[in-house]
Amino acid sequence: MKIYQITEHKRYYLELLLEADPQEDMIERYLDAGDMFALYDDEDEAQAVCVVVRSGDGRCELKNLAVREESRGKGYGSRLLKYVCEKYSYRCRTMYVGTGNVPGTVGFYERCGFVHSHIAAGFFTENYREPLYDGGVRLTDMVYLKKDLTKATDPKRAADLALEAGRILLRNGGEIFRVEETICHICRRFHVENVDTFTLSHGIIISVKLPDGDTYTRVKHIPLSSSHLEVVDAVNTLSREISAGKVGVDEAFERLEEIEKIPPKKWYLQVLAAGMGSGCFGFLLQAGVLESVMAFVIGCILYLWVLLAKRHRMSKILVNIAGGAFITAQALLIQRLFPMPLKLDGMIIGAIMPLVPGMAFTNAIRDIADSDFLSGTVRMIDALLVFVYIAIGVGFTLGVYSNTMGGISL
Amino acid sequence: MIGEIARNFVINFICPFLGTVAFSVLFNVPKRFYVSCGFVGAMGWVTYCLVSARSSAAVASFAGSLVVVLLSRILTVKMKCPITIFMISGIFPLVPGAGVYYTAYYLVTNQLGEAAQRGLGALKVAFAIVLGIVFIVSIPREFFQPRYWKKRWFMRRNAKGA
Repeated sequence: MKIYQITEHKRYYLELLLEADPQEDMIERYLDAGDMFALYDDEDEAQAVCVVVRSGDGRCELKNLAVREESRGKGYGSRLLKYVCEKYSYRCRTMYVGTGNVPGTVGFYERCGFVHSHIAAGFFTENYREPLYDGGVRLTDMVYLKKDLTKATDPKRAADLALEAGRILLRNGGEIFRVEETICHICRRFHVENVDTFTLSHGIIISVKLPDGDTYTRVKHIPLSSSHLEVVDAVNTLSREISAGKVGVDEAFERLEEIEKIPPKKWYLQVLAAGMGSGCFGFLLQAGVLESVMAFVIGCILYLWVLLAKRHRMSKILVNIAGGAFITAQALLIQRLFPMPLKLDGMIIGAIMPLVPGMAFTNAIRDIADSDFLSGTVRMIDALLVFVYIAIGVGFTLGVYSNTMGGISL
Repeated sequence: MIGEIARNFVINFICPFLGTVAFSVLFNVPKRFYVSCGFVGAMGWVTYCLVSARSSAAVASFAGSLVVVLLSRILTVKMKCPITIFMISGIFPLVPGAGVYYTAYYLVTNQLGEAAQRGLGALKVAFAIVLGIVFIVSIPREFFQPRYWKKRWFMRRNAKGA
């Protein structure tokens, strides 16, 4: 089931619109000024349409809601109505709908959250040439119902959406302030006013005060994990679209699910990139061309190890100490076996770079700059420890080598 | 002479450019940002080189990170994406990876004086980067939006007119 906004060829749906409003010139009055939405079922057939007209000062009116006769009672109408209410809750505070005084129709709107507003006496007898009948009753007065759109979205669902977006951001390397900002933007868009969030480097707490006085609170634990900036970018774009009123709750949930499925780069690309980073930075830090090429090779092999360790969820301590040791061992081996003299430091410094915790380091600084010392310190310790682990790995291997080789100068 | 300049250009611009792009691949940055990431990293390194010829490594790293973060913030507003994308990979050429290596090396070879010097040097560079980032990050967001300056400009012109 999909709902589309119809901007062109609105007359194509005239037949369906006439089911709800049998006089064509009455439809013409609002068709061009209004926004039209159509609900398509899984067989790609339009099953329901509606037209909404916005009239300044935060109001809008549902002018027409028609469901194909043979598919009534399947919930298409209420689905479409719910979608439209959510959509218009961005700009409007109240939605009105005028209908004949028939229990069936009025009951439908009441079930959808509408309440009685006022009556336009004699509307049907004045504006329609032919007498109208609905359910055997002649229609005379138009009953207006209204709905408070600021309550169109369930605050719990909006909070869940915000939390989910925040979780994905934090998991993939978003900063604390970005997570909190996104949560606040999403909640504000859906008129959830009393929100409090508390975000840590690996957890989010969100608490919403509901209109009925209860409090809805959720806690989400998010383990520190890898960085995927494409996901951060995608969630950021989605959050902008939500704030601009372009995306509703259901669609946003679907989009988030898709975003989470964005795969990381192919493993061989990552390996090559690690090698290239090693080679380039080795060359920058005064290594010769040959050493840089060796750094490239070592960097590639190192990253194979990192990827393997990631797949088996090894601890950071092991990955980095072993990584450092691995790099040094390879550099020493190459130095001994290669016919030409090679400088050890150039190769090792270059190959260390893929292990350097740039992400944790930069994010820690960002958090501290935002006075979020708790998360900042946690991430900073994470980054500094990785530096220490690398140094341990490198130092250990160098030490063992110089001892076993009888103090050969390194 | 020209050969020298070309060589310097390749070493100090192309190399950090490629290196930064390589790291942005590791961080799964979307493809469309590769060039800007590389540019940010390369500019940071160029600044580092220019300043370090006349000053200490810490000051040079500070200047480099200032440039990296400034460019990142400008690009963020322009391309409407999280600042992290440019900053994390752009800061990489400045990270004291060599300091870590030399510290470990001197520690192992029992040259403790040298080790302490290198270790503190690396820490100083890290702090310089921190300061550089904090300085630019603390600038209010409006300053990076062209709309803000346009508004200010109009206001000033109107004030003069009146």
